[in-house]
Amino acid sequence: MSSVILQILANGLIAGSLYALVAAGFSLIFSTNKFVHFAHGSSVTVAGYLTYLFFTQLGFPFWTAAIITIILTSLFGYGMYRLVYLPLQSRKASNIILLIASIGLLILFENLLQIAFGSEFRSIAYGTIEKGMSIAGATITKLQLVIIFVSIVLLIVLHLMKRTRLGRNMRAVADNPKLARIIGINDRKIAGYSFLIGSALAGIAGILVGLEQNLHPTMGTGLMVKGFTGAIVGGVTSVPGAVLGSYILGLVENIGVWFVPSGYKDAIAFVLLLVFLLWKPSGLFGIEKGVKQ
Amino acid sequence: MINQYIIHILILIGIYIVLAVSLNLALGFTGLLNLGHIAFFGIGAYTSALLTKAGVPFIIAFLAAGIFASIFGYLLVLVTRKLKGDYLALATLGFSFVVYSMLLNLTSLTRGPLGIPGIAKPSILSLVIKSNSAYLIFVALITLVSCIIIYRIIRSPFGRLLEATRDDELGLQVLGKNTFALKCKAMMISAFFAGIAGSLFAHYITFIDPGSFHLAEIILVLTIVIVGGIASFKGSIIATAVIIIIPELIRFISLPSTLIGPLRQVIYALMLIAILIFRPRGLFGRIDLE
Repeated sequence: MSSVILQILANGLIAGSLYALVAAGFSLIFSTNKFVHFAHGSSVTVAGYLTYLFFTQLGFPFWTAAIITIILTSLFGYGMYRLVYLPLQSRKASNIILLIASIGLLILFENLLQIAFGSEFRSIAYGTIEKGMSIAGATITKLQLVIIFVSIVLLIVLHLMKRTRLGRNMRAVADNPKLARIIGINDRKIAGYSFLIGSALAGIAGILVGLEQNLHPTMGTGLMVKGFTGAIVGGVTSVPGAVLGSYILGLVENIGVWFVPSGYKDAIAFVLLLVFLLWKPSGLFGIEKGVKQ
Repeated sequence: MINQYIIHILILIGIYIVLAVSLNLALGFTGLLNLGHIAFFGIGAYTSALLTKAGVPFIIAFLAAGIFASIFGYLLVLVTRKLKGDYLALATLGFSFVVYSMLLNLTSLTRGPLGIPGIAKPSILSLVIKSNSAYLIFVALITLVSCIIIYRIIRSPFGRLLEATRDDELGLQVLGKNTFALKCKAMMISAFFAGIAGSLFAHYITFIDPGSFHLAEIILVLTIVIVGGIASFKGSIIATAVIIIIPELIRFISLPSTLIGPLRQVIYALMLIAILIFRPRGLFGRIDLE
């Protein structure tokens, strides 16, 4: 009995780590831009397929493939910002227009990937499939430990970044873009940086998801829903909040599928999202300001 | 052969006109940022298919599809009444996701991913609509009636109240109007027509599965409404014809059939993004989406 509970906790922690990586990048972009970048999900998918392309198909060494993937994904996110969002923002388009454009982008890349790689599941096939080890009754693989470790390290780095000049400027723009501009912070440049860093995080998330699960062109939507829910639960304007929210989501989902069929896993996320949107749209740790606009 | 093909396209255009005009009623005229319209379409399709399978006459199943979708429309407005802007849009997107996973998982009712095959062609009293050309006449009739009803609604005093809800909700409340009731009615009417469009779709294709009502399918109807123009009745109708026909042209280039579906979605997505950037009001739009 207790080993079942431990296993559920472990599964929740693993799922939560992946969601947290998606949510952290998403909320970084949201906090400085104030619109919902739904196409962040396609950054994650594109990263998975880039790793597949460079490592599995072209036979690059894994680390080289991983680094190329992270750089290209970062540029991919930045490209979306420069080519689609920035023109819309300069025209003072409302946030809802940006949201619809981001859904358009998500579906665009989902289908382009399907054209390029087919709609079959792909696997990166790094290392051999091994039996998980048993830690206090819960079975967990080495890869899953790496996932938890990597996400925690990245989140600490992200936290430390708060103190740097860039981090301070980002928080200033997030808090009050006009005031930030008055004291001489180039808010567009900061928005661009947040796309670069946020999408790089999506790149890392994509590689880890690709290693842990199979790749499919449509996986971005599901991951984005999870990352987004995590961000809302924790407070979308706060990166640490978004991360914590993602872990909560991972746990709730895995506890939830104990009671309802596992096919409802995605629905659980959405019900949680709806509950928070209605009850506490600022999330558990977010600041009230700017959320209800 | 070519004739059959044109009839097929015309039937699809008819069904999507009902879907697009009804979405525009909620999204454009009332300002309800509903990104979950496809869920009403799915609810209608499943309701109608399951009822006729259970032996209910088509005409009752057809109306039930609209009414059932309309009930869900009411629930959606009820639950999301406090939300605005992005948050409302995302909650409605979430709604369509929940409906999709229910269609997928309530296997005892919907057969899950296997879908429902062999949906009967409609029969009204003793008249059975068998051939596609007869179905086209039927669809054209329903589309015409739906369009006339929706047109009458938006031109009525009630329709002006809906537009006022979109433009200045607070002002309308000051005048003593119940804006929540107005939004409910608008969403219910919108969902009703999406539901009957779903019924038309199900009985035409004769096979439905949850995949036809997935979140990604919203792109087509959303593109139609935005290209045609927010709060433009004429725009939605013209855009439906244009947007359904354009991707059909790729059929004439010889491509593997597995590429046609994704390529069509790519075209829709590109059109959507391009129109947002270059002509945000669409072809005939009068207002900006806020």
